[in-house]
Amino acid sequence: MIVSDLLDLRAETTDGETVGWTVDARLVLDGPLDGPLARPRLVGLVVSPHTRTSFLGFERAQVPAPWLIARPLRRLHRGTFLVRWEDIARLPLPAERRDPDRRSAVVLRAGYGRHDPRL
Amino acid sequence: MNRLLGVALGILTAIGGFLDAGDLVTNAVVGSRFGLSLAWVVGLGIVGICVFAHMSGKVAAVSGRATFEVIRERLGPRAAGLNLVASLAVTVLTLIAEVGGIALALQLASSVDHRLWVPVAALAVWLVLWRVKFKVMENVTGLLGLTLIGFAVAVFLLGPDWGELAAGLAPSVPANESTTTYWYYAVALFGAAMTPYEVFFFSSGGVEEKWTVRDLATSRLNVLIGFPLGGFLSVAIAACAAIVLLPRGIAVDSMAQLVLPVAQAGGMLLVAVVIVGIAAATFGAALETALSTGYTLAQYLGWSWGKFRRPAHAARFHLSMIVALVVAVAVLATNVDPVAVTEYSVVFSAVALPLTYLPILVVANDPEYMGEHTNGRALNAVGSVYLVVLTVVALAAVPLMIVTRAGS
Amino acid sequence: MTGDTQPSGRILDARLHLLDHQVLDRDDVPVMVVGDLELEDAEPGGPAPYVTSLVTGPVLGARIFGGRAPASRWQRLPWRLVADVGVVIKIAADAESLDLAWVERWVRDQVIARIPGGRHGP
Repeated sequence: MIVSDLLDLRAETTDGETVGWTVDARLVLDGPLDGPLARPRLVGLVVSPHTRTSFLGFERAQVPAPWLIARPLRRLHRGTFLVRWEDIARLPLPAERRDPDRRSAVVLRAGYGRHDPRL
Repeated sequence: MNRLLGVALGILTAIGGFLDAGDLVTNAVVGSRFGLSLAWVVGLGIVGICVFAHMSGKVAAVSGRATFEVIRERLGPRAAGLNLVASLAVTVLTLIAEVGGIALALQLASSVDHRLWVPVAALAVWLVLWRVKFKVMENVTGLLGLTLIGFAVAVFLLGPDWGELAAGLAPSVPANESTTTYWYYAVALFGAAMTPYEVFFFSSGGVEEKWTVRDLATSRLNVLIGFPLGGFLSVAIAACAAIVLLPRGIAVDSMAQLVLPVAQAGGMLLVAVVIVGIAAATFGAALETALSTGYTLAQYLGWSWGKFRRPAHAARFHLSMIVALVVAVAVLATNVDPVAVTEYSVVFSAVALPLTYLPILVVANDPEYMGEHTNGRALNAVGSVYLVVLTVVALAAVPLMIVTRAGS
Repeated sequence: MTGDTQPSGRILDARLHLLDHQVLDRDDVPVMVVGDLELEDAEPGGPAPYVTSLVTGPVLGARIFGGRAPASRWQRLPWRLVADVGVVIKIAADAESLDLAWVERWVRDQVIARIPGGRHGP
């Protein structure tokens, strides 16, 4: 599995309701030591309700400037949340992602938690 | 004292290094058709290039990251790839114009046909890229390029009616030109002043010279004094054309016409001085554009790059510059007019600008990169205004080109 | 939203901190740009997967044009070589010693080093 298999996917509930798009994957360096650093573990996916584009990092870093760029991007990404790995019920298979006819989406478990996405 | 000398040298090379074939040709063409009524665009472009070169230099000095690395990081592979294709196209187009420009300058000096000079010029450019130290390369071409001051001298020698000349600075469309043509040349002048390769070169040059936070003040002085003085020379070129060529109805379409006013003002001696300047400025810009093709490709794709390394330690970087030069020679061999290529390259560079400047503005505000050296409010305000201007210019460039049939 | 759920340890977002960032070797020689990250295969419901390597090569084309590069063509840099993640990613190895440097080596040995002066500093 590569991380782009998990990005830019629709995220939906078990009822098939779209809740947003996966814009990033959250990793934490808390695995066993693997070389000089700990191994990064996939703790969850960052889901943005209004847009599938994620760039410049403004949506999660607390950089307010320049206003002209920060303001609209923050607005576009309002309501972004983190879904933890345990709350993911189903991931599309790589073959499904390539096939535009199939509905490839990350399915979130019923009662999944919306966590603060800030770093 | 040594430090002061270094600062002075930096400023002088920035003046000489600012001008390239695009600035020379566009300013002369505009001066001969519109007088000084478009000089305000040069001012607008100079402030813009100062703002963005300063930011990209600051990012390079503080974080050690060159501009195209930042572009890929922030825009992702797709938008950055689009920018890479556009920037490479413009940079190679400019390289073609510069190599052609060197050949034309050599033709003026020697009366040997410029097509014969093209391979010689390209080989000389490659040899410098291959063997000459970055600092030496920059200083020699920059200082020789300073002889373009001959254009400013020529303006004084021509002894124009200064009041009339100053009155011509007001933005207005001449009676025999259309409004769309006026705006088309406004875009061209703006693109000539703000070409993207200048920031690629400036920021990568900062990495080549291993700038640190301590070099910030020097970098700022180079930009804030050197570029405006370079812009002053641009206006002097336009003024020469406005004084001598405009009243006679001669529209510049060759290098020879560029030096006509200088010949009238100062005779053969001043022409010789100015030709040295044209050759040095185009040669310097050919080096900068060739390097920029290598810098952008290597930084996007993660190759080892830099003139401070031995060629064998930056193999793909050097190979891409060789390929760019071969392409330039091949295109010039088809007998295209380098002056026409120049006119197109400045307009297309206006199209490519926003995708280059947006990531610089963003990263210059990111404390992860910049620590305490993030942009202040004033710089952000000016940068944001320019982002809007750049976007408008980029959107308007191609439609204006089509409507005016490239200004003809 | 619920608070205080951030697990301990340093947090990295794949896109923000790793993808498209420059990798430098121990002598600051550029090695690659991170094209993708390889994770262990994992099923939802099971334990969370770990990142095993940074990937470059044809994965870049897949991210630009869509599709998916076959795993056999991924060029991997194992995570155990990664020494530091900052604005750039530093590895504790020489670029020269890595398999993925083969293109650079090929261009150097077949073209650049054969031109006179290619092996000397300017």
